Amino acid sequence: MFLAIKEMLHEKLRYSLIVALIFLVSYLLIILTGLATGLANLNKAAINEWDASSIVLNSDSEGRLQQSFLSQDEVASLPNNGTRISQYSTLVKSENGLKENTQLVGLDSKSFIFKKLKITSGSKNIRNNAGVVSDKFKSDGFKIGDHLLVANSSLRIKITGFTPRATLSALPVVYISPDTIQPLNKGVTNAVVFKNKLENSKIPKGTNQLSISSFIKKLPGYSAQQLTFDFMIAFLYIIILIVISIFLYILTVQKLPNLGVLKAQGVSTQYLILSTLFQSFIISVIGVIIAIILGEITAITLPSEVPIVIDKSNIIVTGIGIIIMSLLGALIPIRQIAKVDPYKIIGG
Amino acid sequence: MSNLIFESVTKVFGEGSSKYVALENINFKAESGQLILVVGPSGSGKTTFLTIAGGLQTPTEGDVKINDSTIKSLSEKQQTKLRLEKIGFVLQSYNLVPFLTVEEQFKLVDKLKKQNLTEQKMHELLSDLGLLELLKKYPNQLSGGQKQRVAIARALYTDPDYILADEPTAALDTDRSMKVIELLRDLAHKRNKIIIVVTHDLRLKNTADKVYQIIDGKMQMIN
Ligand SMILES: Nc1ncnc2c1ncn2[C@@H]1O[C@H](COP(=O)(O)OP(=O)(O)OP(=O)(O)O)[C@@H](O)[C@H]1O
Ligand SMILES: [Mg+2]
Repeated sequence: MFLAIKEMLHEKLRYSLIVALIFLVSYLLIILTGLATGLANLNKAAINEWDASSIVLNSDSEGRLQQSFLSQDEVASLPNNGTRISQYSTLVKSENGLKENTQLVGLDSKSFIFKKLKITSGSKNIRNNAGVVSDKFKSDGFKIGDHLLVANSSLRIKITGFTPRATLSALPVVYISPDTIQPLNKGVTNAVVFKNKLENSKIPKGTNQLSISSFIKKLPGYSAQQLTFDFMIAFLYIIILIVISIFLYILTVQKLPNLGVLKAQGVSTQYLILSTLFQSFIISVIGVIIAIILGEITAITLPSEVPIVIDKSNIIVTGIGIIIMSLLGALIPIRQIAKVDPYKIIGG
Repeated sequence: MSNLIFESVTKVFGEGSSKYVALENINFKAESGQLILVVGPSGSGKTTFLTIAGGLQTPTEGDVKINDSTIKSLSEKQQTKLRLEKIGFVLQSYNLVPFLTVEEQFKLVDKLKKQNLTEQKMHELLSDLGLLELLKKYPNQLSGGQKQRVAIARALYTDPDYILADEPTAALDTDRSMKVIELLRDLAHKRNKIIIVVTHDLRLKNTADKVYQIIDGKMQMIN
């Protein structure tokens, strides 16, 4: 690709400009996808940790955990390998004044969800008003052995362990026993979570089985938020496609006479097209790589309140996306190259 | 032996009322070892003639044969290969790639032909054309005449059987023009090439083996 490289080296300014543009848009894309993932995680991370496949809720709850109440009979008629979830959202304070909005989740210590829970420090114990809490508490200054004072209640929950990735609807989770949550919400069961999907015949009337993924989609605000991000991301892809097309179009128009003469001199159209594709590929790879590096640096330097998660799959998808866009952007210039008639240039 | 033959070639542009006959029933034959000059007024059909000879345009009627094979029967790919290997074009403008130095213009040809002759051959050619000190320059750092001479060197570099040159001396002074034409004539004679030069510079008439004139699309030998 002699021709392609020589041209880029000779026209450094022009090609640096395109690289800069690709970089800026890719950077924005990486940050946006990072935020989308981060916010999505805040909403659903705890549920993912459960590693379950379905959830049974009250039919009238529209898939909302907080609005779902299952009767004793309904719970009793469901298979008993499910985990009964009892939840209560509230504010908790530590004795030295730290505050946290939180989701209290009551579940049995023999349930599969509790057995699954990972611990980053402390122990996994929820007996006698003890709680295993999201490690968000740890980063906010809470320690093992601290007591959480529940607002409007005399309940004191002792922190015994920290568990990672435990957020639900953007709030850190506190796992406690059914006995501990009983005085707060009368011990109601909001939902039963199952490791495997249940046959429809096993689902009592008045209740409704949802897959975990559709349950997540129905989390308050979740879909609206993700759609907004998807929309912005899609637009950025379109913008980058248009920008690259225009840039390459102008560059190609400017050198069309030379390309025509090269054709007359026996340079194949295929070679010229490959040159352009190669250039397009190189500029997007450089732009994307700079964007990835800066994206990572940004993610590290941003305060931890900004929920940005730049993971490998995001980077790969964005990188490939941008490269595909820039190759697509080369299509119009390629058409021009294919069409240019050496005679038109010579005859002029 | 190479040869280039036009058999009753007619080229018509446009249709109906805008129809224009650029070349009319041309019969022409060139053989190895000849420098042929084609002269004629502006708009008479000289460039059209040259581009048809090089396979850049197809005749409306008649056939053009190169080494006894009809150009229009060749595939696109074969025609490209023919131009790369057998024909050297020197055009009125845009001959040089703007972002390649003089030296790199030749390297490009090496890459395309998967050969590597650069050093020796390039030096020979460039010293013949008085261009040795220009190797590292870009086309926009050259004068019109220098550009034209580099273009000629580039066309010769592939060692083609045919050289088709459109006004190669337009930007040169009489002295340089004569030198270039003499170089081309030597090539034709010593290396057995077919060289066709389109020009309106009548001073060059006496240097050629044959001179044709085109007027209003009709061609006749005048010398
Ligand atoms: N694509 C085309 N469509 C219509 N007419 C054309 C086309 N190309 C050339 N012509 C006409 O054919 C005639 C011959 O053109 P040509 O370029 O061969 O002239 P020329 O002898 O090379 O002139 P010059 O000395 O000015 O370069 C001109 O009258 C021109 O207008
Ligand atoms: Mg002309």
